[in-house]
Amino acid sequence: MPIDDTIFAYAVGRTRALETRLLDRARFERMIDASSAEEALKVLGESAYANAVAELPDVHDFETILAAELKETFDLILKISPRPELISIMALRYDIHNLKVLFKAKYLGVKSDLLIPVGSLELDKMELAVNEDDYRDLPARLRKAAENISEDFLVNRDPQVIDLLLDQVLYDQLIFAARDSGIKLLEGMFVRQIDLTNLKSLIRVKRMGLDRELLKNILLPHGSIPTDRITGMLDEPLESLITMLTMSDYADLVSEGVRDWLEKGTASRLEKLSDDYITAYLKQGKWTPFGVEPLIGYLWAKEIEIKNIRLVLVGKINKLPAEAIRERIRDVYI
Amino acid sequence: MTGTEIALIGAALAVGLAGIGSAIGVGIVGQSAAGLVTEDPDKFGQTLLLQALPGTQGIYGLLAGFIIMQNIGIIGDELLELTVPQGYAFLMAAIPIAIVGLVSGIYQGRVSASAVGLVAKRPEELGKGIVYAVMVETYAVLALLATIMLLFGIPL
Repeated sequence: MPIDDTIFAYAVGRTRALETRLLDRARFERMIDASSAEEALKVLGESAYANAVAELPDVHDFETILAAELKETFDLILKISPRPELISIMALRYDIHNLKVLFKAKYLGVKSDLLIPVGSLELDKMELAVNEDDYRDLPARLRKAAENISEDFLVNRDPQVIDLLLDQVLYDQLIFAARDSGIKLLEGMFVRQIDLTNLKSLIRVKRMGLDRELLKNILLPHGSIPTDRITGMLDEPLESLITMLTMSDYADLVSEGVRDWLEKGTASRLEKLSDDYITAYLKQGKWTPFGVEPLIGYLWAKEIEIKNIRLVLVGKINKLPAEAIRERIRDVYI
Repeated sequence: MTGTEIALIGAALAVGLAGIGSAIGVGIVGQSAAGLVTEDPDKFGQTLLLQALPGTQGIYGLLAGFIIMQNIGIIGDELLELTVPQGYAFLMAAIPIAIVGLVSGIYQGRVSASAVGLVAKRPEELGKGIVYAVMVETYAVLALLATIMLLFGIPL
């Protein structure tokens, strides 16, 4: 008798109530149609973000609300989950994000992104470790990657290595943690993300006319499409790549995304479709009555919501046409 | 063991196992409802209704136990001296509601807890959530019916 999953009963009940407060498509449409960034922010202020928006002095500082919201969401779900270690797997991605930001700030002198106070490692300690080039306090795998990055950068001066090495550690850890947890949904999500990242790498390498060795280096292991099959596709024209993927789940999104990429020269459509694909996959959390799946689905839903708010506000601040914003908006979870 | 003692085991199982089923079922719904009410206190009344549904198995078990007690005279004027086969007959008559009460109570709790999620999203659809949970009830009622027919058929 599967009794064990009912330990999530409280957390799932609470998540169901939280889901009703996620922003729906109509809200985003109204934000997109608003006449200015300030107006869009006002529309946002009519939702669950009312308090945060009321305290925001200037629309240009909207990132602070988003970071606070993300942190609040993770803190809450961590607190109510009877198995917080499963939620920590999701938070791991932010440790890596923060490391990337810190490394780029150190080596390139640019603050590429905000540090996000979600994740298991303390930001101060990480900052200190990166600045002093002393990674003893980091978990073993991260430490290895960090040391490799600082060695490699001294020799090659190639900032791409930061993203590359840290992504590899990240997905390694995610896959192992997900397998350990026995939660199929988590493993499925990460495998799909790896596949999509690898397909994007393939197309990027192909478009830039780079060689097979480089592609081999940047492909992530553990995907459902073997890496040698992906490197094999490098010599085929892009059209046959789409034919080869017909049998897989990714056929539609790759063919549409790639067509758009070739036409417009940006991968933004493919990025959107990839996110939508993961959202559709995680939506099973909405129908799962017990277990961690609804919590994971909610976390992802919140991440997508935050991404959407950022897309709209950045678009509004830069006065992009509504249509350009609309086509980048991700599908919502609810 | 005397026949009376064996019959009492039957009464204890009917009340005990069906009661455990209800306790687990009501417990699951209660947790789920508490989660919802934390965020939305107005849903208390609706979720209370859902929480009560898996409670019936315990009542059915008590009813069966009560009939056994009455038939053998634990309640009433004079305690009957049952033969061992008579005692076993009472024990076996108690089995349907004891086992089905235990299992259906838990599963009804799971359905009701899912209905809490339904009420969170669509409070107006409470009725449908209740109907799903009541479908599980059918089998507890059938088991109770079997137990009662068996009990009344035992020659004393």
